[in-house]
Order: sequence, then C-alpha cells, then structure tokens
Amino acid sequence: MSAIVEVKNLKKYFKTGKGVLHAVDGLTFGIEAGETLGVVGESGCGKSTLGRTILHLLDNTGGQIFFQGRDITRVNKKQLRELREDMQIIFQDPYASLNPRMSISETIAEPMVIQGKLGKAEIEKRVFQLMDTVGLARRLLNSYPHELDGGRRQRIGIARALALSPKFVVCDEPVSALDVSIQAQIINLMLDLQENLGLTYLFITHDLSVVRYISQNILVMYLGQMVEHCGADRLFEAPLHPYTKALLSAIPEPDIHRKKNRIILKGELASPINPKPGCRFAPRCLYAREACFQKGPELREVEPGHVVACHFAEEIQKEENG
Amino acid sequence: MSEKLLNIEDLSIHYFTENREVCAVNHVALSLDKGETLGLVGETGAGKTTIALGIMRLVPNPPGKILGGRIELEGENLLEKKNSEMQKIRGAKVSMIFQDPMTALNPIDTVGDQIAECIRLHSHVSRAEAALKAAETLEMVGIPRERYGEYPHQFSGGMKQRIVIAIALSCKPELLIADEPTTALDVTIQAQVLDIMNDLKNKLNMSMILITHDLGVVAEMCDKVAILYAGEIVESGTAEHIFDDTRHPYTIGLFGSLPSVAGQKRRLTPVAGLTPDPARLPAGCKFAPRCPHRTPECGQEEVALREVSPGHWVRCRNLEHVKGRE
Repeated sequence: MSAIVEVKNLKKYFKTGKGVLHAVDGLTFGIEAGETLGVVGESGCGKSTLGRTILHLLDNTGGQIFFQGRDITRVNKKQLRELREDMQIIFQDPYASLNPRMSISETIAEPMVIQGKLGKAEIEKRVFQLMDTVGLARRLLNSYPHELDGGRRQRIGIARALALSPKFVVCDEPVSALDVSIQAQIINLMLDLQENLGLTYLFITHDLSVVRYISQNILVMYLGQMVEHCGADRLFEAPLHPYTKALLSAIPEPDIHRKKNRIILKGELASPINPKPGCRFAPRCLYAREACFQKGPELREVEPGHVVACHFAEEIQKEENG
Repeated sequence: MSEKLLNIEDLSIHYFTENREVCAVNHVALSLDKGETLGLVGETGAGKTTIALGIMRLVPNPPGKILGGRIELEGENLLEKKNSEMQKIRGAKVSMIFQDPMTALNPIDTVGDQIAECIRLHSHVSRAEAALKAAETLEMVGIPRERYGEYPHQFSGGMKQRIVIAIALSCKPELLIADEPTTALDVTIQAQVLDIMNDLKNKLNMSMILITHDLGVVAEMCDKVAILYAGEIVESGTAEHIFDDTRHPYTIGLFGSLPSVAGQKRRLTPVAGLTPDPARLPAGCKFAPRCPHRTPECGQEEVALREVSPGHWVRCRNLEHVKGRE
C-alpha cells in the first residue's frame, strides 16, 4: 500500500503583530488512494490551513509534502499548474466561493480554459457531462449563482473541482453551510463520485457525525497539532486522547434514550500565537499532571494504526476501565 | 396539574413585498406549560424565527404583518397589547436570545453595563444595586465578576453567548425564547452553553422555546417538539412521540438525513427536492411535491392536523401508508 498524499513534519506559521501563530505545527500522516481522511477539530485548530498548505494555496513554513511519491514541497509555477490538475479543493461557503458575475457554464469551464488543453467544443461537452455528474439540470447552464439555492451552488463548486479530473480533493467543510436534508443529498453525491471516479478525499469538518459517516481514517487536531489519528470506527469506539473523549461526548445525539456522560471541558481554546512548551491541551485537560506542562507529548503508536499524543493515554484508559 | 404559560392559536404572519406575499407562518397553534421546554424544529425558511418574533411582537412592520390569531401569555392576548405594554413584557416576562452573539451585543458598552441596563429598565433600583445584580448574573453564567468592565470584543464566542444569556435572564423571565443559541459555537463550547441553559432553566423554573435545526440538541433539551415545514406545523407531540413514533413523511426524511454517530454505513435517505418558495406555496399539502407517499388528493385540499395518540398531532392524510423509521 502506498499513500497518494503524504506529509512529514508539515508546518505553517503566520507572522502576526503579537508573535508567530503556529497554525499547523509538525503534522505527519499519509492518505491511501481512494480513501477519505477526515480532519476534525474546533475553530482555529488549523484544519483549513492544513488543507490549503497541502495544495500550495499557502506556502509551507517547514516539512515535506509528497504526492504519488514525488516531493512537491517546493514547486515552480509551471509545476504547480500541472499539480492543480491532480489536486483540487471544494470550499465551505458556496455563497462566497463562486464569482457572482460568472454564469454556471463559465464557472465550471474556467479551470479547463486556464489549463488550455481542450478546444471550445470539447470544453462545452465536458461542462454538460460534469453538470450531469453532479446532478445539475442542463437548463441552468446560463444561470448565475444568485439565482440558485445553497445545495445547487455547492454542486457547482463540486463540478468545478472535478473539471480537470483530479485524483485528490480537499473538501473544506463542504456541507456545513447547508440545511440537513440538502447536506445529506450532497454527502451522498460525494460518496457516489468517490466510488465512480476513485477520488481520494481530505475531508475537513467540525461535524463529528458527518466525519464518521464519510471517512475511513480520522485525524483529530488541537491548536495546530495532531492529537490522535486512527481508523474512524476505532476512534469512536475507543478514543484514547482526553480531548477526543471530550469532543465525542459533546456530540448531541438524536436519540432520547441514550443518556451519556458528558465531559464538559473547562475553558476555551488557548491562543496559537507563541504557544508555551508542554502539551497544548493540558490547561483544559481533566487528567493533566505536572509533567504535561513541562514537556509536550510525542506522537506514539499505541496499537497498530492508532497514533496518539498523550503521555498518559494508557494509564487513563486503565483507570477508566478499572 | 401543570399550569399553562403560553397558548398560541391560529397564528398567521405574512411578509408583503412589492409584488409578493410571503406566507411565512400559517395557522400555527402551540402551547407550553410552566417549566417545559419546547423544541421548534425546521429548515431555513420554515418560519421558526418569525413565530418567535411574533411572540415578542417584533415582526418588522412593514413588510411583516400578523394577520390573525391569538398569542396568550398567562391568559392575556399579547396581540391586543399596546406597544408601551409590550415593552414592559419584553425582557421581564419573555426574553429572547439570538443565534449570533457577535451582533447581539453593543460593541461600545461594557458587558456589565449592558446587563445592568436591562435590570434598570424593568425594576426601580439604583445604579449601584443594578450593577451589583448584573455582577451576580454574570457569575450565574460562569463569568467572573472581575470582567464586568470589559467590552464584548474581549470575550470569545462562547462567552459572548453566555453574556447574551445573562442579559436575557437578568429579570428572571417566565419564558425564554432561544433562537439557534449554539449554532455558531463549537461542539465542546455548545455543550458548556446548553449545560448552563438547562441548569438556569431549572433554577429559575422558566419555560423555554428552543429554535433549532439540530435534532440532537432537541433530544437533549426538549420535553415537547413541533416540526415546522413551509410555515405550518406538520407534526407535534412529546419528545417520545417525535423520536420513538415518528409519523410524518417530512419528519422521517429529517431523521433519514442524519449520519449516525453510532456508525452504520447505510446510505443517507434524505428528502428529495427543495423546500418550496414561501411566496408560491403549493396547493393542498405543502410537502406533497417532495413526498414519497403522495396521492393525487394530497395536492388538492388542505390537510388538517390529526391526533394519532393523545397529544401527538400529524398533518398527513395518508398516514396508514407511511411506515415509520426503522
């Protein structure tokens, strides 16, 4: 098995007036071809920055990015343009990510026009084909974004991302702005597309029920760092990191008979600017000890395919079971 | 016996724009007992917020107009109150909190003063007393009183929403209307805020109307539930009725849209199509064009609510053919 996308110790820092903001701070993971890796975390944890850094929409500060085994950490403009054919992104807000002055056909055709490999007639054919694929009626060809509802707009965003037949798509909260019934329609569409086109997804979301449904593997982020990474079912059945536990316990479930033990976290996300040494979750952690504030935990593989960043993961687990 | 606090009958609210009449709320009936929490559930444009604004008598007019019906709070019809009387009721008897805490607070006034202002409007107390009460209210929602003199921008989103709750509860209202109070918040912060709301509701023996699109939040917070579709109630009853004996095809579709945290990998079974334009509602059952169980009659005549078991009302004429959720 080889990963289609791999990052090693990836970093993205932003300089701000108050100091250096560690948005993505040393992430290492791989995504297998055809799978979906879900990235979850709360606002400001760096999940969108991660997606954008992998795609070179933001320049990385350090580390390495590999695509199909090739190091793409540093690429020139020409290489980047070629790379874009293979790597695309679907954005969260279908209201903000579409140009209001471009019709649907222009929007979907734009990547192909920029690429410059297809003739006019071929592009037109491909636009129709893409509209069929994502379930947009052909009569909408010359409509503008403001004439359409959120679900249809997101279908345009998806069609545009698929225009160049990419292999890898970053999905940045693609359904968060939609009503539940529309959200379900779009999720079903994305699963169909993955099956039919063999796509690989990096699926960024804060919605934990969506992420379990759509992902094979899940990566949990907290303040720019990875705190846990494993199979989706494993994460929900046996989470090891105290943050993951709290996060999962906070999901409101549409079931009135399941009363669960909520872990209510104290406090809120600390600032990612000039973070202190030690575990970044320690100030809110129920199990934090002196050692946690001294030294940040290394990522450890505690069982095959299950990586966690906590000094005391096993101990806490034993305590809870006993 | 429980005491009735709020009773809404036949409430219709429409918005009139240049050439359209938007039928936002149509013949809605609701009732709420003291100490109860009612969940008002529906998608964008279902009329949830308009009902809430109607109860507060805050429907912007023009373009909005309350066409008819009754809204009774402790037996008094709010629709017959003068504006000056309503001002005394708002904040003191009925309070409302909004989805976005960023826009609900005054950015150039300290949070403590904003709470004290509400107290002074509704009770004859000195500035010093109001300030003292405001500080107590801040602590009640878990914010240290030392932060009384800080401005909204110095607080995070979750804390801002707690301040909004503090303002709403400062005069100990009988009824709190919460319009998507946690939708803008992260899930761990949402858990904190819901926890505080439940706690205070019990402490102050309030009733609550919780407007949300999240059935998970409803399951955790509500005693009763009303499902809205295109300005009408399509199903209402106790939480048990709605979650355990789901009857209306739209409610079934809502549940079918939710990915399960328990992790079944079945395909989602959402409702097909889109919600209708409230300026051009279909004749007959509003849900018929999207309904998998529709018959020709559904699109012809209006459908009345039917009581399928005591307290469980469903607006559907083909219930016999509708299978519940698995």
